[in-house]
Amino acid sequence: MSNSLIEVNNLKKTFGGLTAVDVKQLGFNKGELTSIIGPNGAGKTTFFDLISGFQNPDGGDIHLKNKDISNFQPYKIARMGMVRTFQLTKVFDRMTVLENLLFSGSEISNDSLFKSVIKSKSQKKYEENLKDKANNIMEDLNILHMADSYARELSGGQKKLLELARSIINEPEILLLDEPLAGVNPKLAEDILSLIKKLSNEGITILMVEHNIEAVMKISERIVVLAEGSLIADGNPNEIRTDRNVIEAYLGKDND
Amino acid sequence: MKISNKFLFAVFLTGFSIYLVFALNPEGASRILLNLLTFAGIYGLSAIGLNVHFGWTGLLNFGHASFMGVGAYVTLLLMPHAAGREGEITSTGLPFIVALIIGILSAALFGLLLGLPAIRLRGDYLAIVTIAAAEIFRLLVRDLESITGGVYGIINYTENLQKYRPNFINNFSESLEFSPSQAWVCLVAWVSILFTVLFLKRLNNSPWGRALRAVREDEDAVRAMGKNAVWLKLQSFMLGAGIAGLSGVLLAFNYGSLETTVFVPLLTFYVWAIMILGGVGTITGPIFGSIIFWVIISETDRLAFILFENANGQQLAGVRFLLVGLLIMALMIFRPSGLLGKKEELLLDVK
Repeated sequence: MSNSLIEVNNLKKTFGGLTAVDVKQLGFNKGELTSIIGPNGAGKTTFFDLISGFQNPDGGDIHLKNKDISNFQPYKIARMGMVRTFQLTKVFDRMTVLENLLFSGSEISNDSLFKSVIKSKSQKKYEENLKDKANNIMEDLNILHMADSYARELSGGQKKLLELARSIINEPEILLLDEPLAGVNPKLAEDILSLIKKLSNEGITILMVEHNIEAVMKISERIVVLAEGSLIADGNPNEIRTDRNVIEAYLGKDND
Repeated sequence: MKISNKFLFAVFLTGFSIYLVFALNPEGASRILLNLLTFAGIYGLSAIGLNVHFGWTGLLNFGHASFMGVGAYVTLLLMPHAAGREGEITSTGLPFIVALIIGILSAALFGLLLGLPAIRLRGDYLAIVTIAAAEIFRLLVRDLESITGGVYGIINYTENLQKYRPNFINNFSESLEFSPSQAWVCLVAWVSILFTVLFLKRLNNSPWGRALRAVREDEDAVRAMGKNAVWLKLQSFMLGAGIAGLSGVLLAFNYGSLETTVFVPLLTFYVWAIMILGGVGTITGPIFGSIIFWVIISETDRLAFILFENANGQQLAGVRFLLVGLLIMALMIFRPSGLLGKKEELLLDVK
């Protein structure tokens, strides 16, 4: 048992002969803003898939809040307060922006077929509160004017915003952000970064996979570097900047 | 409520096709109309169920006929009937409404059973499994002759429903030269549609309906949001299968005798055509789609007579298939959203 919120031990995932992830030991503490970086194919997204339950590990274990979640279904892990976003944005295209948020914010019990047939007063009230909550979030993220547009009509960056909005409507404890800045224009990237910073300040534990090194250096408290599935460096941005292993992983080995 | 142009157009087209029936049939138009409205009601109901699967949840179900079949067989076998080669009579049984409810529940249960292994498959893989399961069901029913009557089918069951026929139907049918028993089946079918539509309207904008649409859009995102996508899909499968079960029972009562050949894949394709014509993802669309579809089917004879002198049954059937094929092709090209579907919500691009 350890004090980390998320803890992985001997985590292993292979695809045929290729080792995608092979991490001996790695823990993430409550409230930390950690970035996971590494060259393409380093296993960052697979690592996310493993801890969010979208893939099952071939070996090792994953603990969330001291509970073994290695073979949990994704929805169970999400309900424990760890919510992820996707590298290729996944919004509900043919639903409105508001509906995207309402669905994501609604509790399982509120979604029940029985309750939806009865249409009780309490459900109505719940839905109204949810709508207020969604409106507030949309206002914060500057997408309120798009509330009734179909999500497919949003730009790539706006979709990223919507996905973020969807992930935070239920006030998760942990956010796993898979390339939140990919394909986003610089202005919007600034906004998203400051939003991530703000969420972190509010006490949400954040793990972020991101290729924009400049942004990573700016906002991360800790950086974890993966290469070929293994952990090669772990430290604060200044330590990582000068780490020999990291430089080698990105630029190749020095020949002498 | 604002009435959209699309809705008016659908009403107009439906009215026009009914007018066509009168125009093309100088004699016996009302009888032909009753016949096609009965089929339209039954198939429309089935298409409404299919829309829960495909339009709402994105499940590519090509085994719809089997849900109708389970509903029909379970209901009929629970009531007094005669079955098999010898026409062996079972004179005891449950009253119609009890048998019907069990039949509908069985169809829903069959949906659940079929869903459990199949529902983890996506897109076209689910289509393959459902069409295979539907054929397995049909062949099983055909070969279990001792229970289901096999190829000899089931007869002598219509009285179970007809004994509840109210008197006004008899009077009304007499003056219009209808078959009173078909008029009664027709009425029951359309009342069933009315209730099903009201029920689904209630669900459409509910949190549950919203959750189904989210599953349709992106299952992974649904799971990432902490929702059990598999369970939502199973619920959708059960609800749609139950509605199909009801329509299957009505179909059996409309035919007057039941054989396994009723539930061939063609039935599923007809229901698909109706759903697409009416508008995928809409609730009332299949009603209009169904009437127009059945006018086309029933007036095919006229067309076949123009094409061939003394058209025989085989030629008629050929022209019918041809027309349905052309109809689906034309719809896909010119109006993939159907009569009532929204273009922005075009639901036919399956992932």
